Amino acid sequence: MSITIKLFASLREALGEAELQLELGALPPAEVVDGAIRVDSIKAVLSARGADWSDAINQPNLVHALNHKVVYLDALVKDGDELALFPPMTGG
Amino acid sequence: MSVSLQAEPIDIAAEYAALVGKASGAAVTTFTGYVRDHTGEDAVGALELEHYPEMALTVLQDLGRQAVERFGLINWRIVHRFGLLPVSETIVWVGAVADHRGEAISACEFMMDTLKTDAPFWKREQGPEGARWVASRAQDGERRARWERSEGI
Repeated sequence: MSITIKLFASLREALGEAELQLELGALPPAEVVDGAIRVDSIKAVLSARGADWSDAINQPNLVHALNHKVVYLDALVKDGDELALFPPMTGG
Repeated sequence: MSVSLQAEPIDIAAEYAALVGKASGAAVTTFTGYVRDHTGEDAVGALELEHYPEMALTVLQDLGRQAVERFGLINWRIVHRFGLLPVSETIVWVGAVADHRGEAISACEFMMDTLKTDAPFWKREQGPEGARWVASRAQDGERRARWERSEGI
């Protein structure tokens, strides 16, 4: 099991990836409490992948959706969850 | 009382017939959104619509349920397209059926205003100078916020 990260729109385009898997066991142990990790900790892990990731992941107004529901940075992500990151929505 | 996410054009006549045919309401409001040929002073040749299918379905079904609770709708339908859409084609169609016009009009507006900011779709415009992602507009957030503050009717 792992955490699925999905990226959409300009974020997907800037990073050249639509989906990736994060193994909970491979994340910084100090960030994982009772088998869960906060959204902002996941963003920090992704930001460490390089300058382009850091810029894209920390852009203002980025939206985080956990299992299809918009959440704040303190939401807890567990094994098997799906966390999507994307810019503000512009449908309709 | 359903949602359709589709690549193909919206058959408005068929959608309308299905919406009203099943309902006994006296008031029907529909909204249709089309691809514009310009944004401000920039020409637009076509629109690409990216979406997050599973979340879009969940959000829009929940939106319909909220509209029923809030406005007592007898029937509703939300159709949203994705993929490459040429100028003048339909993007979105929303219908609301109620006993009275106030509820039907408000419900349609509520669903559109909320859909704009809450449903995971992203527009990318193709123009003479290439393609660019459409930025969210502050006015859309303000329209959405009105429904948080009031009962809408």
